[in-house]
Amino acid sequence: MIAPRHILGTFDEALASLRNNVLMMSSLTERSLDRAMKGLFDRNDDLCANAIADDEEIDQLEIQIDRDGVAILLRFQPVASDLRRVVSAMKLSSNLERMADQATTIARRARKLNQHPPLAEVELIRPMYDHGMSMFKDSVDAFVREDVDLGRAVVPRDEKLDELNRTASRKLIERMAQDPEQLRGYLNLIFIGRSLERVGDHATNIAEDAVYAAAAEDIRHQSFVEAS
Amino acid sequence: MADSDPTVVERAGRPAEPPPTAEPGPPLTFEVKNLSIWYGEKRAISDVTLNIASNAVTAIIGPSGCGKSTFIRCLNRMHELVPKTRIEGNVLLRGEDLYSAAVDPAIVRRRVGMVFQKSNPFPTMSIGENVVIGLRLNGVRNQKFLNEHLEKSLRMAALWDEVKDDLHKPGTSLSGGQQQRLCIARALAVQPEVLLMDEPCSALDPIATAKIEELIHELKSQYTIVTVTHNMQQAGRISDYTAFLYLGKLIEFGPTTKIFTNPSERQTEDYITGRFG
Repeated sequence: MIAPRHILGTFDEALASLRNNVLMMSSLTERSLDRAMKGLFDRNDDLCANAIADDEEIDQLEIQIDRDGVAILLRFQPVASDLRRVVSAMKLSSNLERMADQATTIARRARKLNQHPPLAEVELIRPMYDHGMSMFKDSVDAFVREDVDLGRAVVPRDEKLDELNRTASRKLIERMAQDPEQLRGYLNLIFIGRSLERVGDHATNIAEDAVYAAAAEDIRHQSFVEAS
Repeated sequence: MADSDPTVVERAGRPAEPPPTAEPGPPLTFEVKNLSIWYGEKRAISDVTLNIASNAVTAIIGPSGCGKSTFIRCLNRMHELVPKTRIEGNVLLRGEDLYSAAVDPAIVRRRVGMVFQKSNPFPTMSIGENVVIGLRLNGVRNQKFLNEHLEKSLRMAALWDEVKDDLHKPGTSLSGGQQQRLCIARALAVQPEVLLMDEPCSALDPIATAKIEELIHELKSQYTIVTVTHNMQQAGRISDYTAFLYLGKLIEFGPTTKIFTNPSERQTEDYITGRFG
């Protein structure tokens, strides 16, 4: 449901600007991750360099979103859904910034891998990438559309990403024993897998924040809450 | 959660639910049941049912003309001072019907004190006389008793240190914020059970407002406080429970944290976020 406009038009403008910056940040983060992974799969150093360069703009947007969020809290003292949207936007930007850091890590490792002959095991990473990016896109969609069901559905998908990472790591460690010559390459792939696993964690956080923003429901650490 | 809170009794358009009986709720000062009030032909309050918890601050919010002031005035029968007023329903003060024929309105107003939007110390009286006038009108002549209550009331209103050497000066010589605290001291002197406050800070600057808010926080350990405010941030700061009235109807009532973070009713959300009103 589209909320009616506030009586105070400047409040609507400030909220819209905050939201636009979050959307911009998420599309830049998605692009950065895409570039880093394409740089790995296509062995393209230029794409890796672009992914690394994207990070600065994303960092600046994080600062801007924090500044705007604090200004809205200070100036308009939002309550209810407005308050949740502002708090969630600020948390979202923090998660996006960390995702972009993972893109930088992946791009740096990919550049190192590109200096050596290709490794067939790079294909172990592809399902993780597909799964992690789908979680990321759905979590941002859940936030943008205030779709509680979609946000809720993203969270358990992290389990599969963790499993894919464990499987890939196990196979890469086996390969290290079989082919010590390529040890550095396999290590770089393990770290790239770990970065993608972290992307899934951040996507989970974003999905949880999306549910909180839309429905005021805190779904974090549910297993812990249920256990206690 | 608000839904299980025994003070959350009614929302507009739904039948009043009885408080759950499984667990005892907080002690109640007022039980308002199906209250409607008319001024002549105009219905100012429509079928409001809610419980007001003891030793807590309940804020009444809503746009101008929604019936906030009428509602709190009916809690000490002040609205009866307006001609052609009619009431239906019940207001129980600690279980006793305020509107039964046997109840003297003057006694009700002693038990349920009131502080108004604009400070109104008696202009011909000194600071000290302003505070004890209620006791004098109730026949108290013992000067020692009056002096004790003068100091006690001014201390409770956080004004004693500022005026203790000027008790003989006119009440109107004080600043606006001090005058409002003097009125609170005057209300406290007759030892009421409840304090009603109708926009007590709307004429005050931010510092004086902060002092009154702090005072409200301190007083609630001894009194039940019901306050009307247009300032929603203030309602969020000072109250434990919030009732949202609109067009004379109770739209939503519950713990303030719930109302200001996740109201159940769309109208409440739109009002508190500044989308209508």
